[in-house]
Amino acid sequence: MKTARVIYAQGDHRWLVVARDPSRPSYLIDTNEYLVAVGDDAILLDPGGTEIFPAVFSALSTEFDPRKISQIFASHQDPDVVPSLSLWLEFNPQIKCHISWLWASFVPHFGGSEETYVAIPDGGADIRVGGQRLQAIPAHYLHSPGNFHLYDPQAKILFSGDVGAALLPSGEDALFVEDFDRHIRHAEGFHRRWMGSEKAKRDWCNRVSQLDIDMLCPQHGAIYQGTQVKRFIDWFAQLEVGVLRG
Amino acid sequence: MPALIEDAGRELRRIVRINEEIKTVVARAFKTNLMAMNAIFLAKRAGQSALGFGVLSNELRQFAMDLQKQMAQLREMTHGSVAKLTALLRQARLSRVFERTRNESTGTGRMLIDEFMKNRQNTADARQSEQIAAHNRRLTQMIADTAQLAELGGVLARSAKIEAAYGGPFSAALTQVSSDFERTIGEIQHSLSGLGRQQVD
Repeated sequence: MKTARVIYAQGDHRWLVVARDPSRPSYLIDTNEYLVAVGDDAILLDPGGTEIFPAVFSALSTEFDPRKISQIFASHQDPDVVPSLSLWLEFNPQIKCHISWLWASFVPHFGGSEETYVAIPDGGADIRVGGQRLQAIPAHYLHSPGNFHLYDPQAKILFSGDVGAALLPSGEDALFVEDFDRHIRHAEGFHRRWMGSEKAKRDWCNRVSQLDIDMLCPQHGAIYQGTQVKRFIDWFAQLEVGVLRG
Repeated sequence: MPALIEDAGRELRRIVRINEEIKTVVARAFKTNLMAMNAIFLAKRAGQSALGFGVLSNELRQFAMDLQKQMAQLREMTHGSVAKLTALLRQARLSRVFERTRNESTGTGRMLIDEFMKNRQNTADARQSEQIAAHNRRLTQMIADTAQLAELGGVLARSAKIEAAYGGPFSAALTQVSSDFERTIGEIQHSLSGLGRQQVD
């Protein structure tokens, strides 16, 4: 069963992560879901596939009233990212979903109406949660052609979708990266294969290097914090991507 | 859970069989239309002695066109059946996930999902099952109406056969045409009674 943990709290501004589901079927990739709550408002980041909705809903409910989730942020269109939107919309039809304009007419196949979707332009956009301004940061072609990450300048946290993801073997289930060199081995093959564009990678590295980031939170695997964030960006910058093997 | 959902696969196969029968009837109706046009020309050549046959051929042509329209409506209804069944299956799938959510939740989460499911159960599932049942009743009625229309076609074909006997030198040709009508409309009636049985099943 997944559990919800607070990874940042400052007054009524919190970041929660719903991570690690040892009871999930082995054929499903493990995912992290994040909730940014500010007062009585919240946005859920990459809510996941339909199969994991029960685990995400029940874990989140232990820390936050799910009726107060007003928005969903989908980094891209993948089956492990956004299909549970249809269930969240059953629960609360007023929820808005922020997603790249590129996917805004594809993802409604999962559910929702024209009013549900807020299309993010290629250059990014601000998303307000409570009184807090979050920023959708372009990450196109990493790996999806319409792809965004979400930066919280107050909390100094970057939700980085599939960038930074690691496919960890069973038993390695720490929430935060403990040994960078050991951890990054589980990220290497994934990034080489899934990240298809050198140019997009360089653009992203330049862009996020200018942000003040305390935590880099991927959708799979452990969270990078402190100096590990810069180490990861430097590692990614020099990694050859878009190759079958390397 | 409504029985219809448990038998969804069977229900979809039933709709496929209905569509196949509809295709057969549409092809026969098209054939009847062509045959009637030929019969009208033949009656004109036969002249005064085939006036009655000509009138009946016109009626058979009208019958074929009415039947084609009726079958187009039936096809639309079966498309509607698939859409409604798909919506019901989707709801049923969501219900199963919410049931799992209920089982995994505790405290506030359990209370919220219980309340949500109670409201949802009372509306969506029951309403959609009723919509499908009503749609099926309309489909059954339309098949019965079409079968009646085909009865009329059968009567016209038999009357044409009688009129053919008065066709003088054209009598043999007219008899042949009217026998073709009778056989084709008999096939239509057979397909429609098959459709009726599908609905009863």
